[in-house]
Amino acid sequence: MNENFEDELRRRLRAVDAPGGFTERLMAALPVEKNPTVVAFIPKAARPARQFGVPAALAASLLGAVLFGMHVANDRSLREEQEGIAASQQLMQALRVTSQKLDLAYEAVNNPPTAGDEENRS
Amino acid sequence: MSLSAAQPMPDSLLAQARAGDRDAFATLVRAHQGSVFSIGLRMLSRRDAAEDLAQDVFLQLYRKLDSIESLEHLGFWLRRVAANLAIDWLRRRPYSATRPLDEGAEVAAQETEEDPLMSRELMRMLGDLAPHPRAVMLLRYQEDRDVAEVAAMLDMPVNTVKSHIKRSLTALRGQMIGAKLIDCEELP
Repeated sequence: MNENFEDELRRRLRAVDAPGGFTERLMAALPVEKNPTVVAFIPKAARPARQFGVPAALAASLLGAVLFGMHVANDRSLREEQEGIAASQQLMQALRVTSQKLDLAYEAVNNPPTAGDEENRS
Repeated sequence: MSLSAAQPMPDSLLAQARAGDRDAFATLVRAHQGSVFSIGLRMLSRRDAAEDLAQDVFLQLYRKLDSIESLEHLGFWLRRVAANLAIDWLRRRPYSATRPLDEGAEVAAQETEEDPLMSRELMRMLGDLAPHPRAVMLLRYQEDRDVAEVAAMLDMPVNTVKSHIKRSLTALRGQMIGAKLIDCEELP
């Protein structure tokens, strides 16, 4: 009985004719050359983009990332250097002030004011 | 118009077509266009898409003629390319979802004069199968190819083809019984 159903399918699924004029339309659409080079139909401008578009984009992204990283690193290095110089200058200033104070104290200890000086002052 | 399979084609025809004889190529096309168009029609369920597919298949053939070894190989190659191209088109665009119903009726009516309702329903049920099982059923029953050939055409293991056939037959028979198009006793 299964074979009956399969026979029925074969009978009902016979191939149908192609539409009228199919062969003529196909022959008219055939290229003149039997093995045309497909490349000739692809616009030249489109080919490099299709072939190298993705790798070029990746390379450009990578280069951009590297340059940006170098810029950031350079910027940070410069800022740290400037901060170091400023700190050094502040330290030198502090040392100068301290030195002047110490000189005044030394002067006061070694040359105390005399009585005349006190009277002149009052 | 298709040439009958009973009409033998001389082997020299392929050689002539390969040498650039357009008339010889046209003869090869006429001999196979019915099968290729029918695979497209029953896979895609649209006459316009089926004709586009058939044109595409024969244009590919024209470019690959040098790789065709014999007339037997030609028949195998055309069915293989038609079935796989149809599966590929179905993946990209579900043709059967937009199938015009009157077109299905036209196809069914063209196939057989007797019981057009059953033929139309069979087309609809076939269109409901997934692309791979549908291709298997067409190559097996429309093209009358054996299981090993169907497996080779669709790059599928033989057991998978057998499984598709068994499940599709069961589904089609069940739906036909459900639609009271056949009796349980008639075709279980």
